[in-house]
Amino acid sequence: MSQVILFNLLNGLIVGAFYALMALGLSLILNLSGVINFAHGGFLALGAYFAYSLAPITGFWIALVIAPLGAAIIGVAVERVLIRRLYGRDPLYSLLMTFGLAFIFQDGLKFIWGAQSVPYQIPSWLASPLSMDLFFLTGYRIFMIAVVAIAVGGLFLILGYTRLGIRIRAGTLDLDTVSVLGVNVRVLRSLNFGLGIYLAGLAGVLAAGMLGLAPTIGDQLIMPSFVAIIVGGLGSLPGTLVGGLLIGVVSGITSVYFSEATEAVIYVMMALILMVRPHGLFGDEGRLQ
Amino acid sequence: MKKFQDWQGTIIVWALLLTMPFWIGHIGGYTTLGTRVVVLAVAAMSVNFLLGFTGVLSFGHAAYFGLGAYGAGLTIKYLAASSMAGLVAGVLLGTVGAMLIGLMIVRLRGVYFAMVTIAFGQIFYFVSFRWVNLTGGDDGLTGWTRMPLSLGPLSLDILHDETAFYYFVLACFGAAAAGMALLLRSPFGRTLLAIRENERRARFLGIPVDQHIWMSFVISAAFASLAGVVYAYLNNFVDPRAFRWDQSGDFVIMAVLGGMRSFWGPLIGAAIFVVLQDKLSSLTDYWMTPLGLFFVLAVVFFPRGVLGMLKRRRAT
Amino acid sequence: MSLLEARGVSRHFGSLVAVDDVSLSVESGELRAVIGPNGAGKTTFFNLLSGFFPPTAGKILFDGRDITALSAHQRVALGIARTFQITEIFPELTVMENLLIPVETAAGLRTTPWLTKARRAETEARVQDLLQMSGLTPKAERLAGELSHGDQRAIEIMMALALKPRLLLLDEPTAGMGDQETHDVVRLIRDLHKKERLSIVLIEHDMRVVFHLADRILVLAEGAMLAEGTPKEIAANEKVQAAYLGGVE
Repeated sequence: MSQVILFNLLNGLIVGAFYALMALGLSLILNLSGVINFAHGGFLALGAYFAYSLAPITGFWIALVIAPLGAAIIGVAVERVLIRRLYGRDPLYSLLMTFGLAFIFQDGLKFIWGAQSVPYQIPSWLASPLSMDLFFLTGYRIFMIAVVAIAVGGLFLILGYTRLGIRIRAGTLDLDTVSVLGVNVRVLRSLNFGLGIYLAGLAGVLAAGMLGLAPTIGDQLIMPSFVAIIVGGLGSLPGTLVGGLLIGVVSGITSVYFSEATEAVIYVMMALILMVRPHGLFGDEGRLQ
Repeated sequence: MKKFQDWQGTIIVWALLLTMPFWIGHIGGYTTLGTRVVVLAVAAMSVNFLLGFTGVLSFGHAAYFGLGAYGAGLTIKYLAASSMAGLVAGVLLGTVGAMLIGLMIVRLRGVYFAMVTIAFGQIFYFVSFRWVNLTGGDDGLTGWTRMPLSLGPLSLDILHDETAFYYFVLACFGAAAAGMALLLRSPFGRTLLAIRENERRARFLGIPVDQHIWMSFVISAAFASLAGVVYAYLNNFVDPRAFRWDQSGDFVIMAVLGGMRSFWGPLIGAAIFVVLQDKLSSLTDYWMTPLGLFFVLAVVFFPRGVLGMLKRRRAT
Repeated sequence: MSLLEARGVSRHFGSLVAVDDVSLSVESGELRAVIGPNGAGKTTFFNLLSGFFPPTAGKILFDGRDITALSAHQRVALGIARTFQITEIFPELTVMENLLIPVETAAGLRTTPWLTKARRAETEARVQDLLQMSGLTPKAERLAGELSHGDQRAIEIMMALALKPRLLLLDEPTAGMGDQETHDVVRLIRDLHKKERLSIVLIEHDMRVVFHLADRILVLAEGAMLAEGTPKEIAANEKVQAAYLGGVE
């Protein structure tokens, strides 16, 4: 029994790490530009398929780094051509635009790579279990957590110590002032969007190694990512990280005791948290009203 | 002058709707397509009651749409084989659901409100998906159909006669439209407009804003669940997709496409959406791309929707 | 008994003390001005009086009743109406609708889904009165957002009056106005005060306006009370002069 719990706990942590990676990207974009990116799941899938096409040529490791970059470049292009037009308008419009983009993504991926799901090759030494007792603990699972940890660590380093990151954080608090100080807000928003999409693409590549590829791969991840943001509190990136891990673990543990509620439990948890803290665990009362 | 123009629109709309079964065949459609338009128009108008006239964006109205649909289907299947009973139960279920969820979210605003409404819809999606014994799970709720209506000596076979069913749906639409129009012209409706226009001002005129948003949310959800009921009747079937967030998104798209500041806008939006989807999906498997592209372009170039554009042109 | 009384109210935002232990007592029928240099906490003080947010410390009484914990709309129901420094109206509604909404709210109709003919006639007559009083009758069917700044200020004051308040809080009613518009608004305020015997508290930058209208003046500086008295006393007060000159330097 304890093995089952441990397995589901670990599984929950891995799933939570995915949610967190995806939600951090969503959060970055939402905080700076006020856009809820419904197409985020599409970008995630795009990253995964790029890796699928690249890996046979470049190998696993280069694909892991380059494929998300490809998704990010497409992301910046979409932002420059389309999403940018809607800044400063009612958030309704950017919501609807990304909603339409999500439609296009789903179809486009199907068109290029086929509707069938395909496997994604990972190095064989990563695929084998670490020990007989902990049969479920494959190297790949540990590897994924490590990559997510590096990515999240990297993100917080960028935000904390680079010029770009400091500007993003300042812009999140007060975009007008940052603009008056001479920062090119258009470029800032583009780079920030690209950064968010990079995280989505990375999550996509990692997910592909575990689940295989399908055009709808991002679909089951986007709603929990919203919940991660809400639970953690809008406007707080550490909150989003905690929220993602928390819902992953809660959902993992629930699957042991009441498997029918595996998915629904995180929404119930969200409702409970909202009743006590309307702005989430780390949310700021005054912001984004 | 302004009043006359308002009536002009209403008269045209009703003339077209009442005669629909007689002309839709001649322009390449079919009665059930028209029924679909009217059903989804009820949902889109309900979303717009909140969005266009209270200024609050719910991206989760599929929750109440789905509750209405399942409420009706389950009632007919297990409790009482009557379309009217199903209708009452469905609307009741959706309304009660909205009352409870509304309490948790009325303090939130803007993007945050939208996100939380989306997420709440997912609870019902997963319940319907997982509670297989009751709902049939992913395969949907089958083994029931809408029932012929009997009103005293009169009876109407809405089950087999598609035209009769269309008029039944149109009657529901008429009731919903009349209800919403009446409310919007009342002092209560004006408080909602006040909130849309300037929440701070509304509050300092003595309007308890949260309370009024809650009421508007519940009323809107009640109409959305009515739409869900007739949607289930239309298909004689419900499945968990009725609850999904993309269903909610479709309603919002319809409202915006038609023009969210106009009363009949969502009806126009629903017509565009349904016809486009029908035509595109019969032409190609990849119909989502042109539809998505259409949304994207509409948002960029026609943010005020079809009726918003017309109004503007008339004004200039 | 005073109509409005603030007892030692303070408001902190984090470590910033925006309003610091301010007391005020306004008699029925009085016109009180609140003045002070920029950043003196005048608007924050107004926000405390009107229930925008609660005070960190202190008490607010209206007609002898403790209203400190009441929300904004509850205070409106008791008879406190306010305007804002930056005009807050309903821009995409007509002038008529802008006035109809507060008239109906004041009549307790805000949740009413259906009006009787008599009721409708009553509210519409009241709107006509307000339009007449402000001279906005010819513009009744125009969208409020399309009108001039001065007209919009007038609409906002009329919206507050439509509530039939016992106390009117005006936040810089002449802000951003030309001479003629200022003159009109000042005359309106004086009429309300002298003829209707309405109790008014107003924040104002324009000293001519203040000394012309006010019975008594409260001076705030850096969130705290600096002086209080009749216009004559305030004009002669050295601390007040220092504060204003200090603000200029």
